[in-house]
Parts: sequence; structure tokens; C-alpha cells
Amino acid sequence: MATKAKYKTAPLKCWKKVKELRLKYYEDYAKAHERGGLRWVGGAWTFSAIPSGLGEDVYSLTSEPYGASIAADKQMSLRCLEASEKAGYARDLCAYMRNYWGSILINEYAFGGTFPKPDFIWQDHICCSHAKWYQVVSDLEGGLPNFCVDVAVGPYEEVAPHKVDYIVEQMQDGIEWMEKVTGRRYNDDLLIEAVKNEFRSTSLWAEICAMNKQVPAPLEEKTMYSLYVLGTLNKHDRSTADFFEELRDEVKERVDQGIAAIPNEQCRLMSDTQPPWGFLSIFRYMEEFGAISVGSLYTFGLIGIWEDKPDGSWGPRTTPMDQGIEITSREQALQLYADWTLAKPEWQHFYSPHIKTKMMARIAKEWKLDGIMLHYNRGCEGLSIGIAENRLGLIEAGYPVMSFEGNMGDEREFDETRVRARFDAFMETLGVAKVGRA
Amino acid sequence: MGNQAVLDRETFETFRNWRVNRAEYAKAWKERTGRKIIGYFCTYAPEELIYAAGILPVRILGSHEVQDVTEPHIFAMFCPFCRDCLAQGLKGRFDYLDGITIAQSCLHIRQAFTSWQKHVPIDYSYYLPMPHHVQSARATPFLAKELELFKASLEEWTGKKITDDAIDEAVEIHNRNRELLWKVYELRKGDSPPLTGEEAMEMVLSSQMVDKQDHNAALEKVLARLSKRDSTRPTGTRLMILGSEDDDVEFINMVESCGATFVVDDHCTGTRYFWNNVESAGDRLTSIADRYVKRVPCPTKDWPDRTRVEHVIKLAKEYDVAGAIVMQQKFCDPHELDNPALTKALKDAGVKTLFLEFDVTVPIGQFKVRVEAFLEMLQDDDLF
Amino acid sequence: MITAGIDIGAKTVKVVVAGDGKVLGKGLVPAGLDTTAATEQAFDKALADAGLSKDKVGGIVATGTGRKDCTLTDREITEVGAAAKGAVQVLPSCRTVIDVGAEEGRTIRCNGAGKVIDFAFNEKCAAGAGTFAEGMARALQVPLEELGPLSLKSKKATQMNAQCAVFAESEVVTLIHAKTPREDIARAVLDAVASRIISMVRKVGFEKDVMVIGGVALNPGFIEGMKRGLEMEVFVPEEPEYVGAIGAALAAAE
Repeated sequence: MATKAKYKTAPLKCWKKVKELRLKYYEDYAKAHERGGLRWVGGAWTFSAIPSGLGEDVYSLTSEPYGASIAADKQMSLRCLEASEKAGYARDLCAYMRNYWGSILINEYAFGGTFPKPDFIWQDHICCSHAKWYQVVSDLEGGLPNFCVDVAVGPYEEVAPHKVDYIVEQMQDGIEWMEKVTGRRYNDDLLIEAVKNEFRSTSLWAEICAMNKQVPAPLEEKTMYSLYVLGTLNKHDRSTADFFEELRDEVKERVDQGIAAIPNEQCRLMSDTQPPWGFLSIFRYMEEFGAISVGSLYTFGLIGIWEDKPDGSWGPRTTPMDQGIEITSREQALQLYADWTLAKPEWQHFYSPHIKTKMMARIAKEWKLDGIMLHYNRGCEGLSIGIAENRLGLIEAGYPVMSFEGNMGDEREFDETRVRARFDAFMETLGVAKVGRA
Repeated sequence: MGNQAVLDRETFETFRNWRVNRAEYAKAWKERTGRKIIGYFCTYAPEELIYAAGILPVRILGSHEVQDVTEPHIFAMFCPFCRDCLAQGLKGRFDYLDGITIAQSCLHIRQAFTSWQKHVPIDYSYYLPMPHHVQSARATPFLAKELELFKASLEEWTGKKITDDAIDEAVEIHNRNRELLWKVYELRKGDSPPLTGEEAMEMVLSSQMVDKQDHNAALEKVLARLSKRDSTRPTGTRLMILGSEDDDVEFINMVESCGATFVVDDHCTGTRYFWNNVESAGDRLTSIADRYVKRVPCPTKDWPDRTRVEHVIKLAKEYDVAGAIVMQQKFCDPHELDNPALTKALKDAGVKTLFLEFDVTVPIGQFKVRVEAFLEMLQDDDLF
Repeated sequence: MITAGIDIGAKTVKVVVAGDGKVLGKGLVPAGLDTTAATEQAFDKALADAGLSKDKVGGIVATGTGRKDCTLTDREITEVGAAAKGAVQVLPSCRTVIDVGAEEGRTIRCNGAGKVIDFAFNEKCAAGAGTFAEGMARALQVPLEELGPLSLKSKKATQMNAQCAVFAESEVVTLIHAKTPREDIARAVLDAVASRIISMVRKVGFEKDVMVIGGVALNPGFIEGMKRGLEMEVFVPEEPEYVGAIGAALAAAE
């Protein structure tokens, strides 16, 4: 059934560019050695600006987006998951890692060729699996130099100098360690440049997400996944910061011209935790109801850095550069970097689901939502922690909530038919009827 | 019953009674002293500091009963232990607690704490950000600062300063407890250990539930009696048990009724709890912090190196074990991330392993079949 | 106006023909492999039962997991919406519907108009559904329909230690070997299903009156387990398997 579109829509102009940047990232990592450069691995949340001080030919592979890339390829994912299970790793462990370890075990790189062995590991630790993932990576690669920074110092609302110092001291130790394992001299100017890039890109991403408060929303979450990914790969890189600036301008243009992400927006929702990557078609199904997911704490706050604005709303955190702070030393850069990152919204719920509920209720209000879909994600204990309390808290705050179980990276744990059925029932409860795709 | 048998039974009965009747003990303690009780969720909680504040720290453990009250609060992919603990709170089984605390460890048990905060009436709660990077020299100074904050918070709550003398005394009492437990464990190294694994478990578990001064007195008595204990019970196969939280006395009893004896363990309900003492490492809080940073780690904090593997192999050798039961709470990620490396190291050291996944309740029948087959295999090894 | 509600479930197809809110005829046919044929048969059965011909039916709404395949209508309602409407029709004071079928359990909170307020499904786990009881009955060598009556003879609660269906089956065998009375084992099995379902019910909470529907509601042992677990009376309609179809028939009149 086709209906006349309520809003005009248009494809994103920078769509092609983000695809190219993403592929270039994976290619750069694979080809780093050919070019005499270095390869390192770490999580998407690691302080990725720090290895930049080793030179301009240093390339990374971040594990979670890499695991998600594998998950999107159901054939390869299954072979990877089975290889990890055969090696003795439990099926309920992080699904990204089981894909990633499997890729090492079957020695296949998801972007062609054999798996490119890294030179060292540079990781952070807040989820109780983070540093442990890389112990396993090191085991599987026959031993790798491995450094992890513990960032679990408590929620940002309780930040104190000794907490920032603990992280900064570990970073300082990490830099010395890096010099030792790579035999390179560390360049503070490159570090400062990278840290500034990261302030820019993570603030810009928040600015982009904040524009989705607009009705109709200029972006829908499935598209946002393809855009924010750069922040999980290369948040410290100039190319990411520049791209997000370009994207910010384009989204602003869409808002000004009333261009919508979907033609018949009539029900605004948000999701929570990573989606089941092999089943993003569920978002297209939602469109049949004129339902749009305008984002989530996950999409907004995984890499976006936010702050309270003077008018009480939630918006992008003002960068040290915009505050007129000149960064001149390693110590200063690291202090600012640690404090900046500790404000990450997706780090707060590790200490209390109640903090997360407050942030989610705030999004629901400011982004004008009609309902919330919670993905009880068996693939990620770090983002699913406390999710049941979030459900209770959001209902208490007056929002209709639908929950469904799945797995971001292991399709064997996602039942598409049942989830669609649940979505149907949820729409029926909200009194939303199908509008058909325009 | 002969005198010897009575002696045997009575020796460990105190511990068992304390464990089974933990609520009665705690209520009587409160009545007697007029002081507060804090429940803690993980053995990284600095008991010395709580004790020095005049508060009794007791560990919150589950009940091993199937329950249906935690589904709204904790997603089912998290371990059964954290759900069992929360169920106790929701059912009012710890209504004698004045406060709760947790020292940051795994994500699972943390949820029992945060749901308890919201849904169980409680006067005081404190989340201590115990560092994870315990292999870094930066961890102890950071924790010492955090202990200062915790100390100030406890003082505000009780309205009473925690004196240096009180800290010294608390440290001494706790160190004494660990030394005594350690002495009893030493006796298990011998050819016929004078106590079973079940008795050892009752002993350590009860130390997490009662005033350490009472426990120390009981331990002194036990140590005096153990040397006189008749060791007619055949030791059978010497086993080790290791893994995540484990207070499943019924399981231990089942295994030991199959011709085996547990002679040592690596559990936070066993050796990991008491293996390390507070030693002088600077000022008082730094010394306490250093103890928790340097203790035998939970896998969640054991990185980048796996120091626990070496420790476990050392225990296996010192206690001369023929095999090891590697257990874990279902869905316990930190242990799942260590088990392949741990099992391999044990195998390389000539120690065979049997892996079992525990739930709130374990299917004793099926597990017995596996344990018997495992023991049979170990005994065959002995013959050839 | 005469309407029909068609509930296409995993195991059976149920059809209700209704007029002015009253049930006039009913038909139930095993779904088998050819759902279309089964649906037509059930429809014919219901029409015959009502003594009406097809052309008298003014509106048809389909529900159930197989509703998308229904060739008789393109109007549909989810099984959640249908259960709420049907339950309030059968018992106007009903505010909580617990629907336990072969493969899945659901809890629905609704208002007096049969409108859904909140709902929860049990997650992929056989232990909270009819199939589990069926497997356990097999292990106990008791026909499924006798499992409930047998359990009612039990005077003693036995805890099932295994939390998963595969382990539970061998635990039943262990209990048999341990000479545990069969009625006690039957009760242990049904209490285990009830406990799983109650876990899910607590997720959305419950309010009086509570109605249990779906095929498993026919099992008196399960119902006893539910009453004990919820510590309250629960209502089971005479033909619990038809509630969804009744709801669909009502929706067809809207």
C-alpha cells in the first residue's frame, strides 16, 4: 500500500565519502607494513590519539567495529564464531570478540587476504572483558606486547583530580612502554594534534545527533550507524573530524529545508545497545509504520561527548580549543584528554543503571519520543548491564517500552520473526497503524 | 557416638551453624553491640576499614533456591549468582543490614548492588571504584585516595571518627584471621588431611559472616583439636576446585562421597579471600590499599599478565593434587576468558581437569555421573 | 453484525464466529503442514457450529503467529491485542492475561476496554512453555493430559535443579531412579514451568483479575503452580484456547 509522502526526503550527499573513508581505514591497516608503518589493535573506546605520537604512519584496527563488520557477513561470521567455540571460548562471551578471534583463528581478514598481525595492543578497560579480550588476542597471536589503561574510576558526576591523575599516569607509562616496544621516539606535537582532532570529532558527532531533535528527524538510526562508525575507527584522525564537520553542515541544511529521513514520520522512537548487525532490515520494517528510530544513548554517546547547555538542554561539549585553551605539553594534553573522555555518556551506566535511566529519559523528552525499544543484547554484557532497571525506570518516567532479546554479533540468537511480531504488538499498543512505504 | 566422633563433629559444627544461621548470628550481634552491619558483595571490599568504623561487614551470598523475583531487575544473560544475591534482598532475608557496599569488580555482581540500592530499603550504600589495573604501580596510590573518601563517608554516616588505633586493631584482627585460616590449610598438604573440603568451605564461608574476633577464637580451638583428630576417613583422590564464586556445599559433599577429598581451592569463597595479609606499605590506608591491589586476583583484574595461572599451578603442586574441578557460575565472563589458558596450563603441569558450569542449583545426579567418570580416569592414571 | 476471528497458532488453528459480542460458533483444527487448508476447515467448522453460511459473515480478522498467511482476510491484529480483547470479553474484570502456548509465554496488562497497556514475552527458553511439559511427560512416560491430574495428588514440593530443558529431562530420569513418587515429579515439572512463567509475569507486574489462557491453561497442575507462585486466585476460561480468536472476532466488528 503506497501513500502520499508527508515529508520530502533526499539521500545524504556525503554517503559515498563515509563508505570510502571506512574502506580506506581497513586497507591502511592491512597495508601498513608494506609502507614501513606500524599496526596496533585496541577497542573503539581506547585512547587512540596516543599511538599517533609514534609517527604519521601508525594505523589501527579497532575490535568492535571489526567484529560488527564480520557479523554483517553471515557466512563468515558463522565460521568465525564456530572457530572460537572450537578453541574453547564460551558461546555467551562478547560476540564481537568471538568474531574477531575467529578471524585470527581462520586467518581471514574481512576486507580481503589473511589476517594482518598487529605490532602491539593498546586498549582501555571499563567493561570487565575489555583487557581480557586482548589477553586472548595475544594468546592467539603467539604473544603480543599489550598495554591496557583502566578508566573505571567512577561516574563523571563524581570526577576528582586523583581519578584523572590515575588515568593520566597510566597513559604516561603507556607512552614510555610504546617507545620501548616500537623503538620509536615519541612526538608530543603529533599527540596534541590527534587529541585536538578527537575533541573536534566527538563534539561534532554530538552536535549532529542533537539536530535530530527536529521533527521530522533529518537522520534515522540505521543511517547514523554508517556515519558514526568513523568515530569508532579513527576518532583522533583529521579525516574523521573534517568529515563530521561536512556532515554537520549537510544535516543542518536538511533541518533548514525540512528534509526528513523517512517520508511518513509519525512515531518517534529510540533504541538501546548495539543493534543485531545482521538484521538491520528491521529498521526498514519500522518505516512501514511511519516509525523512526531517531537514535539512542548508544548512537549518541558511544563516541559523542556531551554537556548541559545553559538553556538546560543536552548538546555537544565545548572543546578546549573553543574555550580558548592552548595545548602546549604532553601532560596538559593527557589531562584534558582523560577528563574529556570520562564524560562519555556510554561510560556512566557501568556504575549505575539509574544514571543511564536519567539520560535516556532526558533524550526521550528532548527528542520528543513516543516510545522506546530496548535491545536486551546477549552479545554485549557491557551495554546490557542494568538494562532491566532502565526498562523499569523508563516506564516509571511514563514512556512506553518494548523489549526484545537478540545479539549484535551472533545471528543464532536473534529471531527476526518474533521480533517483528513484538514490534507489531508494540505499534498496536501505541495506536500506530501501517502507512506503507512511500 | 564415641568421644572421638563427637570431637570430630563439634570441631566444625560452629562454622556450619554460623553459615546456616547467619541471620540469627547477625541479629544477635547487633543486639549485643548496638552497632551497625554492612553487607558487601565482593571480597574486594576493604573489611578492615569497615570494621574499624565499628561496623560489622558481612558478605551477601545467595540461598541456592530457585526464585522468580529478579527477572524484572537483571537480564537473564548475567550470572545466576548475582541474581540469587539480589533475590535475598528482595525477599527481605537481609533485613538486618543497615548499609551495603561493593568494591568494583565484575559487571554481574554490580547489578545486584545497584538494584538493591533502588528496591530494598537501606540506610546507606557506597560504591568503591576499586581499580582494575592492579598490575600497575598506579593502582595502590589511587585506591588509597579512594579509601580516604570511603573512610570520610563512613565517618559521616556513623557520626564517629575512625581512629588510627581502630584501624591498627582491625588490621591485626583481620590478619590474625587470615593467618589462622592459612594454618588450617597448611594441614591439608599432609598425606591424610584432617579436614574435608566441605569443612574447609564452611570454615572460610563463615569467616565472611561473623565478627572476626569470634571466628578467630573458633579457629584457635579448631587448630588445637585438628592435630588430635582421628583420620580414619580415607582421603581417596586428592582434588583441587577452582573457579568463580562457589558456596555450593552440597556439591562438595557429593564429590567427597565418591572417594575423593578436596585439599585446596582457588575461590573467592576460599583461598582468594584470605591468602594475602595487610603489610606495611606506607601510611595506614596505603597499606590496606596495597593488600587489595596485590591479593590473588579475580580474573576480572588479572591483566595484562595472567598471574593467577601461575598461582594455581603452584597450589596444585604444593597440595599434591591428582586432578582439578574447574567450575564457574554460568555466564561468568571473566572466568570464561581465563579457562582455556588455565586448563591448558594445568594440563601441561600434569593435572587433569573436569569442567562444570554451576547454576543457582546444580543437577547433582548428572554431575555425579561426570565426577565419578573423572575420578575413575584419575585412578586409572594411578595404576599405569 | 456477524464477524469471524481466526487464530492461526503454531500447532492449531482456531476460528470463532460471533454476533453482537456473543460467540455463535467455534472450530479447531490442527495446523499441520498446510495452514491454508486447516484454516478453511476450521472456518467451515465454526460456521457449521453457528449454523450460518459464509456470506453472512461481515468481517474477518486474523491473529496468531501465522496470521500473515491467512488467505481469508487481509485484516489482522497481533496475538497480544487479540488476547486482551478476548479476555476482557470473557471476563470483564480481567486486567492481566497470561497466555501460555506450546512455544511461548506472554503476559499482557490491559484496561477495562481490552486495550493493551504493557506486555512481555518470555525469552527463547523452552522451560517456560508447553513443549517443556510435553518433553517431561515423555520422560515420565505419562500422557501429557494426565500429567496435570497426576501432579495434583502430590503432597510434597520437589525442586527441579536443572534450569534447562535438556538437563531437566535427565533430572526427571534421576528422580525416577531415586524412587521419587511420580506425582511429586509431575508436580516438580509443572512448578518449574509455572516458576518460569511467573518470572516473566513479574516483569510487567500483575493486577487482579488474572486470567490464564492458551493450551497450557488446560493443565490443572500448572494452574495450581501458578496460584501458589502468584499467591492469588487465577481465572481459567472454559475454553482457554479460543480467547485469541474471540478477540479477533471482536476486532472485526470495530
